[in-house]
Amino acid sequence: MPSFTTQIPNMQGVGPIVEVRLAVGSIIEEVLQKTNQNIPVPVQALAMIDTGATGTVVREDIVKQLNLNPVGLTLINTPSSTNVQYYEYLMRLLFPNNVVVEAVVIAAPLQGQHIQCLIGRDVLRHGVFIYTGYMDTFTLSF
Amino acid sequence: MLEMLKKELQTYEAKKSELVGKSKGKFALIKDDQVVDVFDTKIDAIRQGYERFGNVPFFVKQIVEIDIPQNFTSNLFGV
Repeated sequence: MPSFTTQIPNMQGVGPIVEVRLAVGSIIEEVLQKTNQNIPVPVQALAMIDTGATGTVVREDIVKQLNLNPVGLTLINTPSSTNVQYYEYLMRLLFPNNVVVEAVVIAAPLQGQHIQCLIGRDVLRHGVFIYTGYMDTFTLSF
Repeated sequence: MLEMLKKELQTYEAKKSELVGKSKGKFALIKDDQVVDVFDTKIDAIRQGYERFGNVPFFVKQIVEIDIPQNFTSNLFGV
């Protein structure tokens, strides 16, 4: 079972965060290869595991860097707004230890420069998330 | 204002009753004013979209009577 464990100093304060790389989906990669087009280089991002998120979100500038086009629309509710519409994109999430998850993610503004991606329950539903608070570690397995 | 997929969303809304009647719960692949096909899974519809149209905007939409929003408790959202 592909898995990684990360230790975060003061995990209570900063949350379960992890460096990920965000890449175009494998289907897009196949299509770009067939048509001899360049495959965008994966983008480095700091992600937080967010059990309060229905779906996975990336900051809007990341989809531009990957030259992605939307494949859908979704409505979202946040603490300060309801029924706001955002684009969805097919993307690959590359976690440490070669853990790879393909997902349809939402592109939305995320405040500040700290977190560029929220890993939501659409990804977590495929795996096991272990938050070991007293050791400041978490493990994600698929 | 979301300009990309505006036409496709209008196409879905115009054909929604018919789609719900025939294919509720499935996924429609829509490009411009055409419902290209209906698929059992979202990823099948996306695959077909890329293979048919390439890396351009297209609309994959689950056929449902009422869209339920996704919920986010994080205050990191800028919306």
